[in-house]
Amino acid sequence: MSLRLSLLIALVLIMASWAHIFFVDQASLSELFSEENRQHGLQFIRQLIGLEDEHPAFLEGQSWKKALTLTFETLVMSIMAIGFATTAMLVTVVPAARNVAQGSLTLVRRWYNWLIFCFFRLCYIFSRAVPELIWAMMIIFIFNPGLLPGAIALALHNFGILGKLCAEVIEDLDLRPIRNLASSGASKAQIFIYGVIPEVLPKFITYILYRWEVIIRTTIVVGFVGAGGLGMEFKLSMSWFHYTEIALYLLCYVLLVFFVDLLSEGIRRAVKS
Amino acid sequence: MWPLIDFHKKNVLTGLMFLVFLSSLLYIDWGPELIHAGGGTSLWQMVKGMFTPDLSGDILLLALVASWQTLVYAVAGMTLAIIFAFGFGTLASGVLAQGSLGRSGLKTFFRGVLGFMRAIHELVWAWLFVAAFGLTPFAAVFAIAIPYGGILGRIFADMLSDVPPQPIRALQAAGASRLQLLIYGYLPLAAADMTSYTMYRFECAIRSSAIMSFVGLGGLGYQIDLSLHDLKYSEVWTFLYFLIGLVIVVDLWSQVIRKRLVA
Amino acid sequence: MAKVMVKLDGIRKQYGETTALSSLSFQVDQGEKIAVIGPSGAGKTTLLNILARIVEPDEGRLEIDDQPAHRYTGRQFAHKVGVIRQQFDLVGSLPVIHNVLAGRLKDWGFFKSCLSFLWPQERHLAVEALARVGLKDKVYEKTAHLSGGEQQRVALSRLLVQRPELILADEPVSALDPARAHDILAMLVKLVEEEQQTLIATLHTVEYAKTYFDRIIALRDGRLYFDLPASEVTDEQLSQLYHLSELNQYVAAH
Ligand SMILES: Nc1ncnc2c1ncn2[C@@H]1O[C@H](COP(=O)(O)OP(=O)(O)OP(=O)(O)O)[C@@H](O)[C@H]1O
Ligand SMILES: [Mg+2]
Repeated sequence: MSLRLSLLIALVLIMASWAHIFFVDQASLSELFSEENRQHGLQFIRQLIGLEDEHPAFLEGQSWKKALTLTFETLVMSIMAIGFATTAMLVTVVPAARNVAQGSLTLVRRWYNWLIFCFFRLCYIFSRAVPELIWAMMIIFIFNPGLLPGAIALALHNFGILGKLCAEVIEDLDLRPIRNLASSGASKAQIFIYGVIPEVLPKFITYILYRWEVIIRTTIVVGFVGAGGLGMEFKLSMSWFHYTEIALYLLCYVLLVFFVDLLSEGIRRAVKS
Repeated sequence: MWPLIDFHKKNVLTGLMFLVFLSSLLYIDWGPELIHAGGGTSLWQMVKGMFTPDLSGDILLLALVASWQTLVYAVAGMTLAIIFAFGFGTLASGVLAQGSLGRSGLKTFFRGVLGFMRAIHELVWAWLFVAAFGLTPFAAVFAIAIPYGGILGRIFADMLSDVPPQPIRALQAAGASRLQLLIYGYLPLAAADMTSYTMYRFECAIRSSAIMSFVGLGGLGYQIDLSLHDLKYSEVWTFLYFLIGLVIVVDLWSQVIRKRLVA
Repeated sequence: MAKVMVKLDGIRKQYGETTALSSLSFQVDQGEKIAVIGPSGAGKTTLLNILARIVEPDEGRLEIDDQPAHRYTGRQFAHKVGVIRQQFDLVGSLPVIHNVLAGRLKDWGFFKSCLSFLWPQERHLAVEALARVGLKDKVYEKTAHLSGGEQQRVALSRLLVQRPELILADEPVSALDPARAHDILAMLVKLVEEEQQTLIATLHTVEYAKTYFDRIIALRDGRLYFDLPASEVTDEQLSQLYHLSELNQYVAAH
């Protein structure tokens, strides 16, 4: 398939999509930007920033306390999620690397290695193709609402992404130092400690932290379906029309996201040096 | 030991992160009430549904329509996101600015804007739009366009400022203006990377579009939600397989493009 | 009479259509310093890889120190044979000392290796070896930060710690500039003499072969072209060795 064909497909897709929105869904831009909608929007913003409320939530100690507790819980959920995802990834990533399946890394070739390779790769594709929220919707039929189902849902999606990224790290390993360790008499385990871990660890950590940043943004979303944390309360406030509470939770959420971004950036820099 | 500090810094950090993870587990009451009364049965039925998806004609048709709808919002959202990303990305890369002070000021400001756009998850944006303007497809489109514009813009900015300096200097020497530099220098040089990253993001946009059902818009997520509430797990899996298929197709397409671009 | 270190008998190696080596036989005594030369694709790397047991020959016998090579376990073999290649053989993310001590892994158990990863064991060995190659002040440096010549010296000190009887060097200096190359080769030869080891090195530069080695084995198209003391190799032989093969390539290509 040439690039020109790809471009053509892309253009047709774009036109068809917008046509669908305008003609099938009958969405109209003039309605969106109508005076009525402008009033609605302004009203919504006034409600959010507490102009319509005698006791805005963000001026009350009690609400702050609750919001901060929820923020902390959300952070805990994100840590559990990335922890689960990492654990599952570490368990599966070695056989899921092509050079291990082929035997060019380990120098042992067994037919079932390909089978294991294909199985784990299929798991990765499955797990990463389904978004966190849909995993959460299904998980919530098994677990009671709380932090754990949220963490599991987030982990299920990120397991596949981390697995794919980290398997590629192993596939990109430079084989020359490893072969040389082998020819100076190092055993499998010794090669793993001295040749593999120091080379892959910094890259793994970079990816894990990067996914953690994505997870913290998504915690609020899995909360919507009852998986605990800020998201769950956010949705409750939505249905009770407690606008100032919504604003407070949003504020906490954005601050948490920025905090995690800073932290992860700091750790990444420390690991890189 | 002292001289190894640098080497062990990352090992110590890894250990610390592991400990933080372990202590986060203490936060949960590990007990039987963690799981629903019927949780085990649900799990079993879900697993069963995975192997026996509902392949009846009307469900397949429904899945096809829902897939198209999911694709539509993803594509429309991405179109806007690319436009945003181009605008903000070039501004945030600082390649258009004269002088170092103007450049760093512009950079900081627009990077901040992009950071804010992507800090909030697309579904939260969608919710806010629906709350403000009511239920319209534009809510989904804008909700995808804003955070994706933020991410793409940030990456575009990085790619533009990482362009090798020699060809740019050559153009400069030929008397090109800043805008000409952008069009004839920076953009062609960064185009391949920008395209493959955009394709990767398109794959993510499909997933994001699928969950837009949560604010009441149709698509695969909506159908999954309905079937889950009717406890029809085999239908759920039919829709899930369509979603997975859609994602895989886009992934394969982007791999093809990437290979072409490298070659 | 020195003992026989390596004995090759009728070694053949085929890669699909191409014959990398065919019926190669020669003998190497302990203490010899041998340069293997020949045009690109002559089979030099293949030969060294067979000696290092990285590649299995299709036919023929290989004896190292009076025993068939395949009899040795991996660890025993590491006591007999050590390998050094271009500078890309070190683990870049490890500190220098770990790369040097890797030469000891063959004698360490799992537990000691783990401990050493946290806290280098038998540190004095590594420091001495590094001092001998002039890198005493780089013990804890990250290996990837060293220059190419320095990395090659780290590889040498790993061999010093490993102490094999036979050293195989595949183009040890091809990635270095001439001054650096002379440094490394001189150092390699000096250390081999001090330790009374045997050295087999492949080289691309004939001048190095004549300067530093006492016997030259020339390969062409997988066959022994000549095998002479370094002092007896004439310029004419050399120009034929390289020229003929290029001519063949020219004929084959047209
Ligand atoms: N793994 C392999 N698969 C297929 N053919 C190979 C392989 N290794 C070597 N060959 C072939 O065997 C022949 C000898 O290769 P070898 O690497 O030993 O040459 P060389 O003398 O080391 O060349 P150079 O000086 O370029 O390093 C070449 O024709 C090469 O193409
Ligand atoms: Mg070679």
